[in-house]
Amino acid sequence: MVTDVGHAQRVITRTRDAESSGGVFTEIGLVTWRSLVKLTRTPVLLFFSLFMPLIWLVMFSQTFGTVFSAAATQLPYDYVAVLLPGITVMTAIQSASQSGFGMVADLESGFMDKFFVAPIRRSSVLAGKLLADGLRMAAQAGIILGIAAILTLFGWRIPFATGAVGAVLIMLLAAAFGVAFSGLSNTVALRTKNTETTMMVSFSLTFPLLFLSTALLPKALLPSWVQSFSTVNPVSYMADAARGLILTGFDWTAIGNAFLAIIAFGIVLNGLAVMAFRAQGK
Amino acid sequence: MSEAATSRPDGKRKAVTPRSSKDSVIDVRHLVKVYGGRGQEEIKAVNDVSFSVGEGEFFGFLGPNGAGKTTVIRIITTLLAKTSGSVSVAGLDVEKDGAEIRRIIGYTGQSIGVDGELTGRENLWLIGRLYHMPNSLVDERVEELLEVLQLKDAADRRAYTYSGGMRRRLDLGAGLVHHPRILFLDEPTTGLDPQTRVAVWEYLRRLHREENMTIFLTTQYMEEADQLCQRIAIIDLGKIVAEGSPAQLKAAIGADIITVRIARDEAFEQSRSRALEIARTIPGVSRATIFDEGVAAYTADGGGTLLEVLRRLDAEKVPVHQVALAHPTLDEVFLQHTGRQMRVEEVKPMSRSFGRRRR
Repeated sequence: MVTDVGHAQRVITRTRDAESSGGVFTEIGLVTWRSLVKLTRTPVLLFFSLFMPLIWLVMFSQTFGTVFSAAATQLPYDYVAVLLPGITVMTAIQSASQSGFGMVADLESGFMDKFFVAPIRRSSVLAGKLLADGLRMAAQAGIILGIAAILTLFGWRIPFATGAVGAVLIMLLAAAFGVAFSGLSNTVALRTKNTETTMMVSFSLTFPLLFLSTALLPKALLPSWVQSFSTVNPVSYMADAARGLILTGFDWTAIGNAFLAIIAFGIVLNGLAVMAFRAQGK
Repeated sequence: MSEAATSRPDGKRKAVTPRSSKDSVIDVRHLVKVYGGRGQEEIKAVNDVSFSVGEGEFFGFLGPNGAGKTTVIRIITTLLAKTSGSVSVAGLDVEKDGAEIRRIIGYTGQSIGVDGELTGRENLWLIGRLYHMPNSLVDERVEELLEVLQLKDAADRRAYTYSGGMRRRLDLGAGLVHHPRILFLDEPTTGLDPQTRVAVWEYLRRLHREENMTIFLTTQYMEEADQLCQRIAIIDLGKIVAEGSPAQLKAAIGADIITVRIARDEAFEQSRSRALEIARTIPGVSRATIFDEGVAAYTADGGGTLLEVLRRLDAEKVPVHQVALAHPTLDEVFLQHTGRQMRVEEVKPMSRSFGRRRR
């Protein structure tokens, strides 16, 4: 009980006069911290966000592996090595499409008001959230690559041509790609403030983007009209770069192209998200 | 009057100080907010509202759901852009100096914005750090608040396990971590049980008294406004219809009120008009008006006149459903200014609806 009014007054004065602590990085860090704490406290979500990709990895590689081997004999690796990069992209897309859910939940619960009424930059809130998303996506890609590496011990032929450095690069690519793609989910979330709409828009784009790209098969094996679409699909650039790292080696042109594609559509989608975020309360 | 209301030691609660714009900390002039437009139907949620709140004052905004209370409080706290008019807080303009304003105000919204996945302690700590308070100071302040808000035992439990009252207290705490000069509370006790409500009132009084905090509160509870506020503005349909201390507002009615509710049948309208005519002819009734459910008669001598009113209505076969005699309360003030009885619609607390949020 605060009965000592004098003490209370001293504390108040001290609080109000206190040197403000921490700048923009502290703000971003706090938002990131909160998102990550939430994530670790819902391990079920974490588990299921990895469950689907792993099912894909196993089922697809087993089912289509025989077809692929028949089409391309004499290769020193299995179809799973071709598919693996695609699965990391897919995981990133999946996490990215959920990015807006948290936004809707915070807007609805009123927690977002806490951020908005605090003397912090609005951009810190978005940046902190995206940073947490990126870390999560990198970790997911890392786990998938790790499991694939373990499977090589059981006879799966995955070359891992660039080793651990390549794996880290793939994690970076996946995180960057996911963060860029989050812009879409966040824009829809902020504009509609509705979880179902956000889910529908994001999910209905996930599969076309994935299948109309080189994520699941090399370009040469795609039908020609899919080939032409895949050249304008950013998913292809990300998949090609990651596939090169696993199958052949460092192809800096492919990696550079992937990052350029990611930056280009990342700026567009996240620009829209920033606009939607700024418009809150206007 | 209840005990709580008379317990203020300084006895200043009912005192009214005329406020010049010089010592006011909140100044709202001709505020207008229009929602919609661009193809949607335009809704004028706030329609030319002007008022000011003095430094250290406990000020209340009283009105039913949809009156525009939340819109006004969100505009003052920089959460919502206004359509026109001017709003300043501590001499700072809400549009130009939003960042400076946010530093000195605390806000507790209508929906309880605590993060259920974080513990009570973490919720408060996060907010404190967001206000750029140094770590050591935040820790000290968080412990103090947990103690005062009686959340110490639950401090390390995740907030989703909290009861409605505990969440509300935690949310209140989140608005107080940085010792705001001005505290904004949007319906702070909606959805609380009576016991918790009284506890929250007690705490708010103490904040006002001991920290000399300016408190701006919105409420749809007459009793809450009456109990807590030194001055209130009654808002209805986006307009302020009355303003003053609770005592002033009640005194302005200056009489007892007899409310006669008429039976709701096909002849309701005629019966009500008939009752109004009758009431006006009764000696002792200074004034009579209709309201949505019947007739209100104002009289200096409620007890004596009541019997006469009943006798006459009965003789004229007006189907009376219910009769009540009241000394003026804010309910009557509201009735007098709006011609309607104020009814509280309880909002389901903590509902997880997926639709658009209420304004």
